[in-house]
Amino acid sequence: MSYQTTAQYMSRRNQNWSRNQNTTRFKSSVKLGPVSHTVLVALMIAVLGLIYLTQATRATSYDYESQKIDSQIADLSTKKSDLEIENARLSALESIKNSTVAKEMTTPVSVNYVP
Amino acid sequence: MKLNLHTISRSNYLGLSITFLFFVFVIRLFYIQIIQHDYYQDQANAEQIKRLVLPADRGLIYALDGDKPVKLVMNETVYTVFADPKIVEDTDKIIETIKTVAGDKARENFSDLLKLTDTRYQVLAKKISRSQADEIKSKNYRGIGFQANTQRVYPEGSMAAQLLGFVDYQGDGKYGIEGSLNDRLKGTDGLLQSVTDVRDVPLTVGNQNIKIPKKNGYNVVLSIDRNIQAKVENAILEGSKRSGAKNVSAVVMDPNTGQVKAMANYPSYNPTEFFKVTDASLFNNPVISKQYEPGSVMKSFTLVKAIDKGTVTPATTYLNTDSVTIDDRVISNASKGKTGIITMQTAYDWSLNTGMVEVMKLMGGGSINLQSRQILYDFLHDNLGFGDYTGIEIDGENPGIVVGPNTGQADAVRYSNMSFGQGLDVTMLQTAAAYSAIVNGGNYYQPTILSGLINDNSDFLTSKPILKKKGVVSSQASRTIRDMAIEGRKRLASKYDPVGYEIGGKTGTSQVIKNGVYDNVETVGSYIGFGGNETAKYVIMVIEYGEGQGFGGSKDAMPVFTDISNWLINYLNIKPKG
Repeated sequence: MSYQTTAQYMSRRNQNWSRNQNTTRFKSSVKLGPVSHTVLVALMIAVLGLIYLTQATRATSYDYESQKIDSQIADLSTKKSDLEIENARLSALESIKNSTVAKEMTTPVSVNYVP
Repeated sequence: MKLNLHTISRSNYLGLSITFLFFVFVIRLFYIQIIQHDYYQDQANAEQIKRLVLPADRGLIYALDGDKPVKLVMNETVYTVFADPKIVEDTDKIIETIKTVAGDKARENFSDLLKLTDTRYQVLAKKISRSQADEIKSKNYRGIGFQANTQRVYPEGSMAAQLLGFVDYQGDGKYGIEGSLNDRLKGTDGLLQSVTDVRDVPLTVGNQNIKIPKKNGYNVVLSIDRNIQAKVENAILEGSKRSGAKNVSAVVMDPNTGQVKAMANYPSYNPTEFFKVTDASLFNNPVISKQYEPGSVMKSFTLVKAIDKGTVTPATTYLNTDSVTIDDRVISNASKGKTGIITMQTAYDWSLNTGMVEVMKLMGGGSINLQSRQILYDFLHDNLGFGDYTGIEIDGENPGIVVGPNTGQADAVRYSNMSFGQGLDVTMLQTAAAYSAIVNGGNYYQPTILSGLINDNSDFLTSKPILKKKGVVSSQASRTIRDMAIEGRKRLASKYDPVGYEIGGKTGTSQVIKNGVYDNVETVGSYIGFGGNETAKYVIMVIEYGEGQGFGGSKDAMPVFTDISNWLINYLNIKPKG
């Protein structure tokens, strides 16, 4: 691909109006017809669609990770509840009463209160 | 003339056909996407969007151990094991595993059910624990699934069963605290509306996702002390063994707050196995639901009102002839022989009906008239809550019956009877709450079974006692009735009581009405009393009764009171007077 420099007439007034702009422009030698333009636009739309899909899929992958963590939390909560129940059962009065420690206890003969 | 035909090339035909087809597609798509948009959108939503319920956790129920809350009712996740017999493989291995792991939780004929290959769903075992479920899951059997459910679990077994109630299969509380506080305990389910994948995993795509968080039920703390409750349950069981009573109930109350510290009934049931109970009356809590004629325990109320009004003192005398005629009825004493001029203290000690009739006469200025009826009614009904619901937070309470002073049934005979505990129906809780008021200095506290809540940060937020009526009697009248009750107990049971404490009480033996007349055999034995040092620290009430059985207040109910009272003095670490 190559470009040709073309000389163009530009009035002084115009030069004054756009003093800092390039006074030359490059004309592409590649000619694109309407079909090519349509194909290019379609391709751009397709690329944008793919980008959207990639992002959507990425969000969905986070959903799965989140679901996995939620299920771990639920599992650990159930385990915690089970342990709490076991703890409550072991510290229930009937369990304490039947423990070896309790069985070795004796009833005091008398109680004296210190005034 | 030469006919000039326009010819169309094949490529043009093709182009036109394609254009036409596109046109048809466009029309069709317009119809589907624009005109039928809502219809297809709804269908797509129904397919892709799931509404998942986030079940709220039912609130826990705590009791107290001293001042510390301890869990009395909890939630446990259990699993139902089911199979799809059509796709199940390794049937023999599955049968062996279920037998070994699930044990008695497996259905009896589960191995037969597993072989019904023309069915798609068979339950093999119910209510297995998480560890059991994990063990079966680890085998990775094809066609075996698990359904998690929540059930109530009771670490203390059947303790306070009739007080607690139970939760039915629909997750609703029935009877007791579970029934009365169901709305607060149940909480509110949350909602998750989301697009899901084929495995029902919620995805963040879509714009119709909604999440309403669940609101778990309140964790309530009962005023019940589990140690006192266990002691009371044991004491009434022993009492039943001693007397042979088919029914024994007891309630322990803190007279200075109205908090119930124990409430027990024999017989009871195991709330875990509520479905095995064949007699539904077992679900009732007789302490709040049984209406009965209280008998002589009412004498304390009649006397304290007369003392409060200045009508009588313990030293006031009257002529006791062991019977008195009111209108056309003769009212007699159950204990006979204390005839002559006797004091009100003696009448109270020996539980003489004639003494209370005399008190009623004195309050009426010499006869039992509207004035004396009104005084007793106002005191019992308006100040002490007899004949009305106490408002305790337990399902199944009955209000009792107290006939008003101006009704047709309210004659002198009725109110004479009421003065010593006949002709009115009360509940144990009403009596204990009223007795608390007359021994605590004269303040009626709303009886309650709750002592607070546990919030999400596990903080124990205590509730304040509700003073419902201040000064139902003066503090002097309260002091006097306490002294009279202590004196009355000395005659019967002082040798069983520890020295240095104020322990008083009153017996009650009431006949039961059968077919409209008082039965000579069936009686309810009751005892109500208090204990403490300079102030009353506890009130205990006990009753024993049974179909066709006769019990006495001093012989049968009082020993149960004594057993609990002596234990409470040590447990509550009450110091002797002085």
